[in-house]
Amino acid sequence: MSTEITSTPSAVATDAVVVATDLTKIYGEGDSEVRALDGVSVSFPKGQVAAVMGPAGSGKSTLMHILAGLDQPTSGSVLVDGTELAGLNDQKLTLLRRDKIGFVFQFFNLLPMLTAKENIELPMKIAGSTPDPEWQATLVEATGLGTRMTHKPAELSGGQQQRVAVARALLSKPAVIFGDEPTGTLDSKTSSEVLALLRRAVDEFGQTVIMVTHDASAAAIADRTLFLRDGKIVRDAGHLSAGEILDTIKTLE
Amino acid sequence: MIALVLRGLSTRKLRSALTAIAILLGVTMISGTLVLTDQIDRAFVQIFQQGNSKINVVVKQKPPFKDPQTEVFLNADLVTAVRAADGVRLAEPFIQVQGYVIVDGEPMDQTGGAPSFVFSSVSEELNPYSPIEGRLPTASGEIAIAKEIATKSKAKVGQAVTLATQDGIKPVKIVGIVQYGDGTTSLGGSTTVLAPLIDVQNWWSLQGKASYIYAKAKDGVSDEQLKANVRAALPQTDVIVQTGKEDADEQASVLNDLIGKIIRYALLAFAGVAVLVGAFIIYNTFSITVAQRTREFAMLRTIGASRRQILGTVVGEAFIIGSVASIIGIGLGMVFAWGLNKLFGAIGFGLPATGLILSWQTVVVALAVGVGITVLASIFPALRATKIAPIAALREGATLPVGRFQKLTPALAIVIAVLGAAGMVFGLISEADTTSRLLTLAGGAILIFVAVAMLARFIVRPVVGVLSVPITKVAGGVGKLASENAVRNPARTAVTAAALMIGIGLVVFVTIFVGGLRESFTGAIDNSLKSDVTVTARGFGGSLPAGVLDAVKAVPGVETASPVGGTAAQVDGQTFALIGVDLTTITDVYAFDWNDGSDEAVQSLGSDTALVEEAIATTLKLATGDSFKIQTISGKSATFTVAGTYTDPTILNGFVVDQAALKPLLQSNATGLNTVFVTETPGSNPDTVQAALDEALKGYPTAQVQSNAQQKDQVASSVNTILVIFYALLALSVMISLFGIVNTLVLSIFERTREIGMLRSVGTTRRQLRAMIRWEAVITSIIGGVLGVLLGIMFGWAVCKGLESEGLSFVFPTVQIVIFLVLSIVAGIVAAILPARRAAKLDVLEALQYE
Ligand SMILES: Nc1ncnc2c1ncn2[C@@H]1O[C@H](COP(=O)(O)OP(=O)(O)O)[C@@H](O)[C@H]1O
Ligand SMILES: [Mg+2]
Repeated sequence: MSTEITSTPSAVATDAVVVATDLTKIYGEGDSEVRALDGVSVSFPKGQVAAVMGPAGSGKSTLMHILAGLDQPTSGSVLVDGTELAGLNDQKLTLLRRDKIGFVFQFFNLLPMLTAKENIELPMKIAGSTPDPEWQATLVEATGLGTRMTHKPAELSGGQQQRVAVARALLSKPAVIFGDEPTGTLDSKTSSEVLALLRRAVDEFGQTVIMVTHDASAAAIADRTLFLRDGKIVRDAGHLSAGEILDTIKTLE
Repeated sequence: MIALVLRGLSTRKLRSALTAIAILLGVTMISGTLVLTDQIDRAFVQIFQQGNSKINVVVKQKPPFKDPQTEVFLNADLVTAVRAADGVRLAEPFIQVQGYVIVDGEPMDQTGGAPSFVFSSVSEELNPYSPIEGRLPTASGEIAIAKEIATKSKAKVGQAVTLATQDGIKPVKIVGIVQYGDGTTSLGGSTTVLAPLIDVQNWWSLQGKASYIYAKAKDGVSDEQLKANVRAALPQTDVIVQTGKEDADEQASVLNDLIGKIIRYALLAFAGVAVLVGAFIIYNTFSITVAQRTREFAMLRTIGASRRQILGTVVGEAFIIGSVASIIGIGLGMVFAWGLNKLFGAIGFGLPATGLILSWQTVVVALAVGVGITVLASIFPALRATKIAPIAALREGATLPVGRFQKLTPALAIVIAVLGAAGMVFGLISEADTTSRLLTLAGGAILIFVAVAMLARFIVRPVVGVLSVPITKVAGGVGKLASENAVRNPARTAVTAAALMIGIGLVVFVTIFVGGLRESFTGAIDNSLKSDVTVTARGFGGSLPAGVLDAVKAVPGVETASPVGGTAAQVDGQTFALIGVDLTTITDVYAFDWNDGSDEAVQSLGSDTALVEEAIATTLKLATGDSFKIQTISGKSATFTVAGTYTDPTILNGFVVDQAALKPLLQSNATGLNTVFVTETPGSNPDTVQAALDEALKGYPTAQVQSNAQQKDQVASSVNTILVIFYALLALSVMISLFGIVNTLVLSIFERTREIGMLRSVGTTRRQLRAMIRWEAVITSIIGGVLGVLLGIMFGWAVCKGLESEGLSFVFPTVQIVIFLVLSIVAGIVAAILPARRAAKLDVLEALQYE
């Protein structure tokens, strides 16, 4: 399963993995029109954890869905690893996701009937390729699950399940991993284990992570923090501490 | 991906098993039917081949056309020419007729209307029967009996018994007990009697006649060579020369056409119904599970699964379920065949059968149907699964998108219904051959079922609206909840109900159809017969000895005795009955329903005029004054002019002529007497007259005396037997649809786990929960039952109207319909048992936390 994904030569900084230009997303029409995104331009460089924050309804999920090619913007463009998403058909998008994008969701990350190990291998199986055994061993080690790898998700804790999901996203060495509230259902202890793994993915394995989160302590591990309100980026900061993040949130509300 | 499919199946064991059962039972019926009929087929071949194993060449009469009910005979003198042919060592005439032995007053005949045979005894070198005690009969008045008769009657060699013949009861002596071939097979229960040729010829009016001439070859002469030699010695064009094997195969195939094929197609039709019901359930199960797995599919899509791979997962699952179910179904089919065989034996319709045969054709057909239908039924749900957008994985409570196709459903359903109705109308009124008419009729009915199933979801809401009132009254809050659950997903309820609808619909249809058949007979007896008593011959195609008429006439209390006889005859290549009546008395015993003609016209029928039944006249485009040429099975023909037309699809269904005109057209052995219609002198006691008739006909054991009421009872009881068989076969389809209800309930309970936890946490008792599920099932089964009854009535009415000219009348089966509706409610309650238990067992806390 290989594909030709045409790279557009661009003037964009070569180390940017995801580049969004003037994104607008409008839901509904007329009176009930909602501008979920209103002229968002942002680019994410390689090898960083970026956190997207903002009040409920500010457009975080919409932004992430569009960046990941799960949804189409009303206008604007998205480049993922040099590929323009606009105009890709379903088949091309599928292959792009396979090769370049990893996901960690809030709920329902794992198939209940497969073991943790099988869940990790699933995307590679679907693509019909074989994982690099050394890399896989490294990831298994990184999850810290040890012998529990042969257990079904129902027999794992929430934190363990999310770490499996992160490992799964990493196995194919994607260009970028998107996370939608990856720690949203976890308590602070298990949450920090998952965040540590994401951090390690970037620091040791050179991955790129973009995650939407509500949680200031989650955003505090990021190299860069974006704040959205009413579909606009209202602050684009580097690494912030949890305290600074909470302060920013207060000013936004 | 395959691993994923397998894993999915094993985690959803109960659901997979229930889905498999839906198709398994249909496959069981198909393979069972094929196994059984192969077995019957093989048994026939084996029996006839064994019968001819000592015979190299057979010579027989070539009838002008085929009529399975009539035996034809050839000139026994031809044996001289056969003996003179090169390479013939031995040649003998052989006759086979219907008759039976009576031991100590007990007739040793077949039960269930199958014929009992008397064979002329040929020499041991040609005879398939060999004595196991005593010897073969040679002199007049001697017989040998099959060992089965000896076992049953305890008759001994040397015992004096009587033989029921065409010519009355004859005293005979048993000189031997014989077995067929090596004794392992028998000819249909075997009531066979062997008697010398001369006795058979004399007692069955077959002087100078033979059924066959058997020839044996000299050493070193092959069957084919002998056949060629005998053929050369017989220049007659109206005789057939065959090798023993060819003749055996032909006889086997004739019998197989008569019995095996009918059983095969009838059973396959019911198996088809079972498969159709199974297809609905599979479709429904897959639709539900695809909807429930929306997020799973979406998640797979986000991590790179293509649409094709999603399609593959669902269809792959169907493929595996279909394959496993088909393989088990083939195994169960063997058991089914074995059981049916035993059943046929138990109801006195013993079929000859050899061991179970599982041919590769059976395996291929069963697998193709089982796997094919399962995969086909899963394709629409699978296509919908491919429409799930990856983003659905990120939304809680994501639901399956509405398919483009779904919006077209009503229009499509109406097109399908119109096509179906057109098919049914064509099937009923076209002039095509019966097979294609039946096929279009069945195809039309299937389309209508499908269309109604598609439209049913629009009636779910209003129907449940009506039902919820009494249900809420009876069951209170849980009743209300049940009603709401039923309309939550109308399509799901509708398809579940539709599966039951098919079974119930066909049960109602069969009830009406068979009721119509019964009515056509009893109505004909009531309307057409002026006679009080009828004398007929037992067994099929049987004719009465000529002496019966005089014996009846001599009975005190008999006012008129009117003889009727007939033969098979062809006009324009189609076979009808040519009926001879007594012109002076027929109108005293029979009321013609005239279209064109009058009772007076009957008296003036000449030797070349005939009355024609209306439907036949229409088919042949004959009207009064037209002439037609008719050829009887004897090969003789005559031309008649139509003198009138009347309607009677039941009793005198054919061409009516003077018996004097019929006589010269009959085979030489035929008496030309099949029935005597008798009226009693006014004021006489019917019981006394009937008893006197019985007494007077003692010497004619094949004669059967029945009052009109007894005839009707006989029809009713055979009709009831047919109904019971139909019901039993349809019960299987109804059972499959129950699995469908179970399946839907189990799946929706699974889906509502959290909700059930919530209901329990706010104080719903386990008993209330069970009641809620039970009412959901009952609502579904009522919808299915009502739709089924309505469609069944519609089909029944249409078919009865369409076949009106063939005597079928529509009778509304009120009582039965009430029973069927009650039964469908019971079915719902039964189907709810397992799902209700499962729901009630759920742990409240776990259910609440369930994802
Ligand atoms: N499918 C949709 N249809 C209509 N409006 C939507 C849809 N999805 C999101 N919105 C609206 O767009 C805005 C942004 O939503 P979202 O991106 O989900 O915000 P967040 O994730 O920051 O809470 C909200 O006002 C929301 O109501
Ligand atoms: Mg959101």
